[in-house]
Amino acid sequence: MAANFWESTQRRHWQFSKDELAQMRENLEESEQSLVQMFPLPQRRHLNIYFNQQLGRLGKRLGVRQQALATAQTYLKRFYCTVEIRRTNPYLVIATALYLACKMEECPQHIRLVVSEARTLWPDSLTLDISRLGECEFYMISEMHSQLIIHQPYRTLTSLQSDLFLSQDEANLALSIINDHYMTDLPLLYPPHIIALTAILLALVLRPNSPGGTATNMAAATAALMQAQAQAPGRTSSSNSSQNSVGVSDKERQQEARLNKVQRYAGFLTESNVDIEGMVDCTQELISFYECHEQYNDKITREQINRFVKARGLDKP
Amino acid sequence: MSLTNPPSAASGPASVSARPQTLKRSVQAAFEDPNDRGAKGGYQSKVKVMDKYRVVGFISSGTYGRVYKAHGRQGQPGDFAIKKFKPDKEGEQIQYTGISQSAIREMALCSELRHDNVIRLIEIILEDKCIFMVFEYAEHDLLQIIHHHTQQPRHNIPPTTVKSIMFQLLNGCQYLHTNWVLHRDLKPANIMVTSSGQVKIGDLGLARLFNKPLHSLFSGDKVVVTIWYRAPELLLGSRHYTPAIDLWAVGCIFAELLSLRPIFKGEEAKMDKKTVPFQRNQMQKIVEIMGLPNKERWPLLTSMPEYSNLSTLTPPILHPGHHHHPHHPHHPHHHKSSSAAASTSYLERWYSSTINGHTSTSSPASNGSLTSLGTEGYRLLAGLLEYDPEKRLTAAQALHHPFFGGAGSASGMGMGNASSAERISGNCFEGLKTAYPTRRVSQDDNDIRTSSLPGTKRSGLPDDSLRPVKRVKDA
Repeated sequence: MAANFWESTQRRHWQFSKDELAQMRENLEESEQSLVQMFPLPQRRHLNIYFNQQLGRLGKRLGVRQQALATAQTYLKRFYCTVEIRRTNPYLVIATALYLACKMEECPQHIRLVVSEARTLWPDSLTLDISRLGECEFYMISEMHSQLIIHQPYRTLTSLQSDLFLSQDEANLALSIINDHYMTDLPLLYPPHIIALTAILLALVLRPNSPGGTATNMAAATAALMQAQAQAPGRTSSSNSSQNSVGVSDKERQQEARLNKVQRYAGFLTESNVDIEGMVDCTQELISFYECHEQYNDKITREQINRFVKARGLDKP
Repeated sequence: MSLTNPPSAASGPASVSARPQTLKRSVQAAFEDPNDRGAKGGYQSKVKVMDKYRVVGFISSGTYGRVYKAHGRQGQPGDFAIKKFKPDKEGEQIQYTGISQSAIREMALCSELRHDNVIRLIEIILEDKCIFMVFEYAEHDLLQIIHHHTQQPRHNIPPTTVKSIMFQLLNGCQYLHTNWVLHRDLKPANIMVTSSGQVKIGDLGLARLFNKPLHSLFSGDKVVVTIWYRAPELLLGSRHYTPAIDLWAVGCIFAELLSLRPIFKGEEAKMDKKTVPFQRNQMQKIVEIMGLPNKERWPLLTSMPEYSNLSTLTPPILHPGHHHHPHHPHHPHHHKSSSAAASTSYLERWYSSTINGHTSTSSPASNGSLTSLGTEGYRLLAGLLEYDPEKRLTAAQALHHPFFGGAGSASGMGMGNASSAERISGNCFEGLKTAYPTRRVSQDDNDIRTSSLPGTKRSGLPDDSLRPVKRVKDA
């Protein structure tokens, strides 16, 4: 239910395994084969980056808070689980998701204002009026079976910040990692607290201006998780992992202090009996997202989207 | 924002059996919007209300729209209540205008909630620019049940029924509150009872989450809760209200189950322009039974925005001619200050005259006198009608109250765990010899767009004695 994630519709209906998610998407593409062939699209993560940017632009014009943006992103993801992207005007769907999310997150925006800002923002790609946005709202709610309450990782982060003695920098970094995870499939795969815990871990090992490349950081993160896993009761240990982390740490004093913090955190995870394997997976997913982000080409993505929108007349009502 | 009418208020006594054919069609017609189909690529619902449900009659209407009774067409067991939200502009060409925030809240909350004592949503169908929320059907509601007992000969609700209703109501309330949901409109008309005696909190049209308000709860909807059930902190202009407002309403409902009339039946002052007026009359009604609040009992009282208005109220007068009740040998008040005794005793007097008073008219076949509720009943009532919201009983505390035998099953989802059920039945009709009349379902779908104020509409309740008592069989 609302406060209880385990009873929530999010947990019961909108959390999938990777296989389930892949299957759903495959089915969707199969049912729309000719469309899919006619209009190639960039990889999903690049689409998500683009959607995220566009949503952010609209949100900024309307002065919408991050929490509502996050909910809107989740709505987008859910919607596109059951609806083929090429059958929609993504700009319309983005505007609708944001309009709906604002109502749900108790910061409502007048539909008139959303419409006029969206028009200004995407004059060539979207002919929009109130009725069209309202219709898309019906469509979106219907596809989501009116399951609109979204549990987000932010609350876990806020409540753990002081318990874990996170510095403001670390908390901020964790926050932006959470913001970034909405560009991956993770919101459809893991419960919000696992996302939050992963974001904290990454914030501890990646921290701003940290020396060493992604690989080093990745190793540190994994090592910490291995350590937690090894200590967990009833799990088989992989004992040499903590050895590794010591090997990484002996370069700088500062880094050693940080590592202690990481290790304390690993201890905390062990005691809390959380899904470490899930965290490992989330970590890998996020790291690979950041790598993939470097190849993102805004122009190509936009062109490919606009091509099917125009060609299919989706910009017009 | 709707201050909802009592949903049981039906269309009046006309047309019970007349013209069934044509009117039936009009009931059906309310579900078939002929306007605009198939605008290019327009939204079409995958599920059609009329394919899945057969509307058998009209139940009620309010500012939100209308409620109909329906059977399933596809072999779904049981009956259904379908709430159709009124489109913004009725009549002319209906346009999409964006769904109201309150409808969105209700849809989202009802989709999440799953508890025996909260009305269950079956599905929501968005079709032809209308929203249809399909709920399980409940044959009765507390307003109807209370009304039935006021019929001649006036007879009290049996104490076992009162206990069961209160326990189930509190259980549902606790579920809502532990899930951060404030109902904000608890009143007898919104408490449903199924034919098997299960109590279900209904109409979450004003409900909302209070765990993450981006704006203070106050800024959203300035006026909540039908006036008779409105907590004193709301009447005094509090901006930071809490689940305690629902428990005040539960206290008022408890009192009403005992006396069969609203305990604080004030008159609502109309809103002028945008300012919310001080509800003097309502506050006065409360003061007459509860005494004036003071800082000793309610430390934050003086910081209430409307505090200054309190001095304009008349404190209760002890009528010299009023008959003195046999006073119980002084029993200790259940908590906090003993200085409260002076003012609480007004309520105590009200309680004892209610449970000892007019029960004499009840027939010998009656299921027992309210006197058996005893002083624990008073203590529970006083705990719920506590001025200070911070001292008011919470739903969980109330469930553990000795009134219920002290073994309240506060934990767990369902109710009726063996441990708690020793005395409190999950069927509030258990042991009753007579059945309550069934819900009035009209074939008449005339457009009663009454937005009359609560408190004036009540008398519009149809006279039970006029209608044939006939059970509608389950499908």
